[in-house]
Amino acid sequence: MKKTILKWSLPLAILFSSCSHDDTVPSLPAIKAAKGLYVLSEGGTESHLGYYDLTTGAFTGDFFKQQNGGASLGQIGNDMIQYGSKVYIVMNVSSNVTVINASNAQLIKRIDFINGAAKTSPRFAMAYNGKVYVTATKDSSVSVIDTTSLNIVKTISVGPNPEGMAIVGNNLYVANSGGYNFVSGPDSTVSVVDLSAQQEIKRIKTGTLNPQKIEANSAGNLYVSGYGNFAAVPASVSVINSTSNTFMNKLGTDISYPFLRMYHDTAYFYNNYGGNGTARVYNTLTNTTIRPEFITDGTTITTPYGINIDEQNGNIYVMDAKDYVSSGSVTCFDRSGKKLFTFSVSPGVNPNKVLFIR
Amino acid sequence: MGQSIDTLPAIKITAQNTLDETKTIIPAQQLNKTELSTLNSLSVADAAKYFSGVLVKDYGGIGGLKTISVRSLGANHTGVMYDGMMLSEVQGGQVDLGKLSLDNIENITLYDAAPENILLPARSFASASVLVLKSTEAVYDPYKKAALHASLKAGSFGFINPSAFLQYHFNNHFFNTLSTEYQGASGVYPFKAYEYGGGTAKRNNSDIKSFRTEYDAGYKMNDSNVIRFKTYYYHADRGLPGSVVLYNPISHQRLKDDNFFTQASWKKSYQHSKLLLNAKYSYAFTYYLDPDFPNAQGKYESKFHKKEYYFSGAYAFYFSKIFSAAYSSDYFISTLTRSDEFAQGFAVPTRNTWLHNVALKAIFTTMQLQGDLLYTHQQDKVKFGNPGKEINAFSPTISVSYEPSKALPLRIRAFYKNIFRAPTFDDLYYTFIGNTSLKPEYAKQYNVGLTYKQTKSGIINTALFTMDGYYYKVKDKILAVPRQNLFQWTMLNIGNAEIKGIDANMSINFIPIHHINFSARLAYTFQRALDKSDINSSTYNNQLPYTPVHSGSININAVYKKFTFGYNALFSGKRYKPGDQIPENIVNAWTTSDFSVGYDFYLKNNHHLKTLFELNNFLNQQYEIIRYYPMPLFNYRIGVSVDL
Repeated sequence: MKKTILKWSLPLAILFSSCSHDDTVPSLPAIKAAKGLYVLSEGGTESHLGYYDLTTGAFTGDFFKQQNGGASLGQIGNDMIQYGSKVYIVMNVSSNVTVINASNAQLIKRIDFINGAAKTSPRFAMAYNGKVYVTATKDSSVSVIDTTSLNIVKTISVGPNPEGMAIVGNNLYVANSGGYNFVSGPDSTVSVVDLSAQQEIKRIKTGTLNPQKIEANSAGNLYVSGYGNFAAVPASVSVINSTSNTFMNKLGTDISYPFLRMYHDTAYFYNNYGGNGTARVYNTLTNTTIRPEFITDGTTITTPYGINIDEQNGNIYVMDAKDYVSSGSVTCFDRSGKKLFTFSVSPGVNPNKVLFIR
Repeated sequence: MGQSIDTLPAIKITAQNTLDETKTIIPAQQLNKTELSTLNSLSVADAAKYFSGVLVKDYGGIGGLKTISVRSLGANHTGVMYDGMMLSEVQGGQVDLGKLSLDNIENITLYDAAPENILLPARSFASASVLVLKSTEAVYDPYKKAALHASLKAGSFGFINPSAFLQYHFNNHFFNTLSTEYQGASGVYPFKAYEYGGGTAKRNNSDIKSFRTEYDAGYKMNDSNVIRFKTYYYHADRGLPGSVVLYNPISHQRLKDDNFFTQASWKKSYQHSKLLLNAKYSYAFTYYLDPDFPNAQGKYESKFHKKEYYFSGAYAFYFSKIFSAAYSSDYFISTLTRSDEFAQGFAVPTRNTWLHNVALKAIFTTMQLQGDLLYTHQQDKVKFGNPGKEINAFSPTISVSYEPSKALPLRIRAFYKNIFRAPTFDDLYYTFIGNTSLKPEYAKQYNVGLTYKQTKSGIINTALFTMDGYYYKVKDKILAVPRQNLFQWTMLNIGNAEIKGIDANMSINFIPIHHINFSARLAYTFQRALDKSDINSSTYNNQLPYTPVHSGSININAVYKKFTFGYNALFSGKRYKPGDQIPENIVNAWTTSDFSVGYDFYLKNNHHLKTLFELNNFLNQQYEIIRYYPMPLFNYRIGVSVDL
């Protein structure tokens, strides 16, 4: 019964999506061209922040250390975002958010993520309206960092082991992985946090187990990708309607990817542990695959560990973690999937993110 | 413990049946009780660092895991024999030598293939190298039925270590000994912080409390008919500090261990043959707790129970002064169960192993030859899932030594062995990680060596020199590789390695000079241990991680009247952590120097008191064997022992 309703509501949703898309699609914003890239490498033992100069092609492997008198960044940097003049680096194992000056990578503050005597292990960050929101694996929460005082001003409880986030309107959507419940199994929900009230108002059950990433398209539809349970249930992608805050549908079984990156309604679905090509290019407005394999010139990526897109020109950067122990690389492609350039992030291992410094 | 009772001296002296390392066909290195007593070492792992060809993986601290890799084959290829029978390590295959105390150890000997005696359980032939530990024996004194040796050590980082060794002879046929020990330490040791300009940091959560007790009994009907029993129990509760985490010292993980075994052995000599029967039961329990684990229960617990029943029979026949032959047959049944939240669906493996070994030996005037052929039949049964592959394999060893001239104390020796290590229960069945289609990991060993023994020359009393060159090949190495994410790993036979090395040892005893008795041991290791796994990988042909090209050790002992002095140094060249061999990944070369001084007091009634003062790492070098596991800086221990 439920299934039938879904089936019927699907075309409507698309129609609705298309309309809103027409209403809201902006012309490409006037963004300055990037001068360089910050590259975050998670590391096996130590994380690195590298800097790639887009003009000269020179790469400084340990830019953070160079700019901070020899100090190390810390261990297992999972994410970084830029907000205003600062960059927030999420250090999972060191359990802090390291705030640096975006222009010179100099350390401003390390914000510890500790609950009582335990590490809370922060995972991902998202900035909105003067605040930086950070998920933390160990206490199943989203912490709110005030970007002026650089203090945690509030910690909001969400579902188990939260991962990626998305913001639509005044709501924060959090993917609850529950990925540490090995026996009872992972979670499949997305928490909805009201950003005014700063509390969870709803938990939406999706069709995707162990959700990792969540991103919205211009139609207000949220795409949630997850690992599955590594056994009978494969990776999948679910769609949530952000107006009604309800689960809409799960994409077809060929869309079996735990990670995604959205750019202007085009989703790049990928498996950050390799084995399923580099990325699938997917139109979220028509719900059709544009290209099952993003790369069109035969370039090979062993382990697509992260994908980022330059807002200014649409170039796509794919991080390759290779065998997880040797130095990784970053390869830049144009939107048609042809390689523009590539560089090694040595001594960085497991690169997962680039930021565009303009 | 098995071999020397036949020649037990009837007077009370410390049994010093020292092995002549220049006369063995298979390269062997031994440290005896006297040498061990000045080695500033608490555990077998600490002492094994002084052998050539040995790499001890030491994560630091008294409670830290310490395993040895002989000639870069990895810890799974070394068997550990404790008083005549192998220690069972059915789950992970790696014996933690940090748990084995030196307190009651008479000597430790490392054989690069198998011990030489042909009258041995078949299991002694089933590893690429064997570390033989022999505990202190009761020594019969007709005037003194009971004897007690008690000692107390204390030192840095809250270390306290009382121990006692008690022996009682009912008569010259029947003896009993009891050895017991407690070790405790807060383990909070300082190290140079990794954070830039961070000063000194302290190792957290590295406390340990351990208790060991061993009871031995022997009944000697006559010189050729001896029965022995041994029971061993060890319990420890320790913190697992884990690797140092930058900017965050929080650590709460715990480990509890129980190890128990009881064994019986009967050895009977006939006119031309000998019989050796052994039986053993082992039980081990490990409990691991992570109280900060972010699952629904808020903690991660694992509880493993390991059991093994072991039976062995060996029979040697001595045809003539030249030829001898032996057959030994072992059967053992090993099981692993878990009693934690993962118990449901766990394979609960039971392994039946049958080993048959035939050994032939010929001792000519100038030449010795030995050949062993081991047959292994191994079969697993499981309650859930698929069992691992059955193994049926022949493993040969051939060894020869040759003395070109009786006028020159020089010997040439060589051996070849082709052996494997079976996938362990963890490799095959560990929840989520195990892979039941694993094959055995093979090691081919080729060794050629020279030994030279100089006696009575100038100031030298004896000088022993051995040098062995080896070429080892590892095929189908079992390695953990990430499967779907970094906490989803699996085991695969994907490694290959090629090891070319030289082990050189020298030990010299000088004639007394001004009443000072000097002796020195030097060991040097050269190793090119190359990764030959994947020709397309950036690590192909690289030196294996954490393997120095050059390493070595020095031990110097001096005895002057009632004083004993010891100086011990270890040296290791630079190594790389896993990954690209770039400067960033270098783990620095290191040296440590330890010094000890002891003084003996002779009390009334033949009683004896000994004091010992140990300075460890007195040059205060900060070093690490594994990246982000800092080793202790300067520390000391004071000990006093008494013989009553």
